[in-house]
Amino acid sequence: MAPLLPGLIQTIKARLQGRRGTSPLQPYRELRRLWRKRSVAPQDTTFVYRVAPSVSAAALVGALLVVPVGASAIGWFGSDMLVLVGLLALARFATAAAAWDPGGGFSLMGAGRDLMFSVFAEPLLLLALVLVAAGARSTDLTQMVAAANDAHVASLPAHWCAALAFGLIVLVETGRQPIDNPDTHLELTMVHEGPLLEYAGRDLAMLQWTAAARHWLVLMLAAGLFVPLPQSAPWNMLGLAAAVAALCALVAVIESSLAKMRILRVPALLGAGVATCMIGLASWIAQGAA
Amino acid sequence: MTTQAWLLVAGAAVATAGIVVSVVPRGLRPGLSLQALGVALIGVAGGLVVLGGGGVGSEFRNGLGPTVGIDPLSGFFVAAIAIVSTPALIYARGYLSTSKNARAIAAISGVFVLALVGVVIARDAVTFLMMWELMSVAPAVAILLASRSSESSRAVLVYLGSTHLAGVGVWLSMLTLAHLGALTDPHALAAQPVLVRSLLALAALVGFGTKAGLMPLHSWLPRAHPAAPGHVSAVMSGMMIKVALYGLVRMLFFWLAPLPEWVAPVLLGAAALSCVAGVLYALMQHELKRLLAFHSVENVGIIALGLAAALLASAAGQRPLAAIAFAAAMLHTLNHALFKSLLFLCAGSFQKQVGKLDLDRLGGLLRTMPLTGTAFLAGSMAIAGIPPFNGFASEWLTLQALVQLALHGRATDTAMGALAAASLAATAALAVFCFVKVVGLVLLGTHRQKAVATSHEAPASMTGPVIFLAALCLGIGVAPGVVLGPIGHLSPYGPLPASLVGVSLAVPGSGTFAPLALAAVIVVCTAALQLARRQAGTTAPGPMWICGQVPDSRLAWTSAGFTKSLRLVLAVVLRPRRTVSIELDGVLVHSVVHESEVPHLFDEVLFRPALGRVLAASRVLRRTQSGSLRAYLTYLLVTLAVVLAAVRLELS
Repeated sequence: MAPLLPGLIQTIKARLQGRRGTSPLQPYRELRRLWRKRSVAPQDTTFVYRVAPSVSAAALVGALLVVPVGASAIGWFGSDMLVLVGLLALARFATAAAAWDPGGGFSLMGAGRDLMFSVFAEPLLLLALVLVAAGARSTDLTQMVAAANDAHVASLPAHWCAALAFGLIVLVETGRQPIDNPDTHLELTMVHEGPLLEYAGRDLAMLQWTAAARHWLVLMLAAGLFVPLPQSAPWNMLGLAAAVAALCALVAVIESSLAKMRILRVPALLGAGVATCMIGLASWIAQGAA
Repeated sequence: MTTQAWLLVAGAAVATAGIVVSVVPRGLRPGLSLQALGVALIGVAGGLVVLGGGGVGSEFRNGLGPTVGIDPLSGFFVAAIAIVSTPALIYARGYLSTSKNARAIAAISGVFVLALVGVVIARDAVTFLMMWELMSVAPAVAILLASRSSESSRAVLVYLGSTHLAGVGVWLSMLTLAHLGALTDPHALAAQPVLVRSLLALAALVGFGTKAGLMPLHSWLPRAHPAAPGHVSAVMSGMMIKVALYGLVRMLFFWLAPLPEWVAPVLLGAAALSCVAGVLYALMQHELKRLLAFHSVENVGIIALGLAAALLASAAGQRPLAAIAFAAAMLHTLNHALFKSLLFLCAGSFQKQVGKLDLDRLGGLLRTMPLTGTAFLAGSMAIAGIPPFNGFASEWLTLQALVQLALHGRATDTAMGALAAASLAATAALAVFCFVKVVGLVLLGTHRQKAVATSHEAPASMTGPVIFLAALCLGIGVAPGVVLGPIGHLSPYGPLPASLVGVSLAVPGSGTFAPLALAAVIVVCTAALQLARRQAGTTAPGPMWICGQVPDSRLAWTSAGFTKSLRLVLAVVLRPRRTVSIELDGVLVHSVVHESEVPHLFDEVLFRPALGRVLAASRVLRRTQSGSLRAYLTYLLVTLAVVLAAVRLELS
């Protein structure tokens, strides 16, 4: 299901910009095309380069199993928010380390920037999740999602600060403007695309699926954690789908209306997110004391 | 005597025999084997005590007679020392085979390990302090035996100076506690005023904190660890700083009760600083062993975060949470001991093959040294806190403890817990950054100097230990519950919740973390995708795309280049220095020299001025050291008179 989301964002974006655009199913066609192609790889690479796409795809599979879809989750793999952070780190480590193997400048530039963002994004993600967990009194994602329906939790200022911060996380993890530009293939400006540069064939298909799965992951979390949804089974799924589609539209609007930031300005933006979280934290402490 | 006692005595005897044998000619390899065997026996004794086999020897005593004994906490540290030292000593069989002064270094290594065990099993203040000093001096001797360069002499000087500073705090706190009877009686200090307890806590924090490498008292660590021979740095970084933490745990959790309120927040602050600043400076290093040493500062910080969380939770009356935080700290102690010694041993193997460990001059070692390289990769993923390795398990538990403290503690705990958790998250991200860099520069890509191209795999005595440690890292990462069971009994806060010792882990108020199921998913998916990849047909080789240029190793990315974006963003904090000088030949550029460094601000701002004062003071004091016998006799006489007068006053 995951590749539908970037496809949807692209379609809405094209419509917003007055183009006809591609079908939301376009990413599937690209994956099919890549899957049929034979692969080309640089000489003198080790097994790290060869397994990296599989490992990052596998890490995202693990992460998808951890994140609950709406109210339902698979119990076997647990559903703790901190596990999710670890699995995303595994995917990041695999792709960034693989960038060192052929040693191309553009891949390393992208990998270095991606890791630099993560240094600021990871505490931001943690603080946002802690604020949500504060309302839910648990770090279990299923309980956090359930708490989003609670009118009391939804009225907490901390919850709203967390929502703002999580919005930034969505933009970082999906590599969208103003953080990164998914459409450009100009080597000097790419961040997430950089480490993918040398890959071809099925490897590239896996990495593109990984990027799509990351969209699915953060948008599903955003919809689950911050949009109150009906609880009964069919309506819950429909509401979730509508919420995710609405978030896709929101991302498309943001992409169309903002230009890409200078890379060195991004940490300041993420720092503003951290400040927002601090305000949320302060408000929560104040309410707890009152 | 119980089995444990027999094992302890037999192990000590075998290890001592090993030390003696290693000094005689041709005794190097059998001596080291005997040492390893003896230490392993001692470790089994410690392990049996942890597993509930009952303690050995006496309880703590306030007297001066030498006594030893093992209780579960000591047993845990003894077992950890053995798990790290046994592979390190076996590794030394291969590592020392071509070194100069090999037999002396081998003997010192054995003495060092036994001294570590001695500190942990000492049951009175005097034995503890004697072993403490021996443990501090032994690595200094090993460093000097291995290399007489001015750099290592300087490192030894700084190390010994810091050790003396630490010694003051340790001696003060231990002797005062013994004097007040607090080593045996947990209520002995209750009658003392807060000032006395505060001073004792300060002495303990400074003393043990310096030895553990907590910031801002860590200055010796990044100098001394890189200078030591490979297996000695592994034990230093793996266990010596942990033994200092053992002292801190005894002080803060068992002896200094009731603890002054300021201690836990101060410890938490120092821990958070150690984590973030430690890993940040590690990221900016260009020498492998120095980089690893800074990571020790970081990991001591993570352990101290767990300890501080335990203190805060128990102060808030949440004993179950305190038990969880304490177990998190102990689990990370063990985990760090494993992966850090693994990384230092691998670094030693690389150094044997290549010479210097300048990160920008390595590359491609995974191809020439596949076994050591793969073990190094596993260790790097473990230290970066990446599942399914053990570093992630203990960082997950520490983060959980901090987040739960934020969710359920008092208002101040909420703020401190959330900020500490955020700093730990930043630390984890920085560690990933750092080890992507290390793995890339050391293992991957093409070689950057001839010595790498001609390097070959280390002998089995050196690869075996690192593979063993890597397997343990993976094993604990997949099944942390197995280790958490015995660790749960060590804390003074009662047992762990049952949900933490099974296949899946959960603390009250958290989701489930299923390490085994997740590892299985990752392995199965990766294998399936690799199969699918194979089926697509052969992969055609092609040149790398760098805008059509021919790849040139002189254009290869460096350590500084990879971290440049972060260095620019954090320039306000890091104050990097950079000089570019361009030599012109007429109008043509003849050569460009680019130099950059990230100064260690703690040294420059904090220690250099302090050091200057100390040196000035010692210059004044030097006048009393005239070297004339008459002056010294006068000093003796005056001292005697003062002591007699004091005794007289005391008696009257």
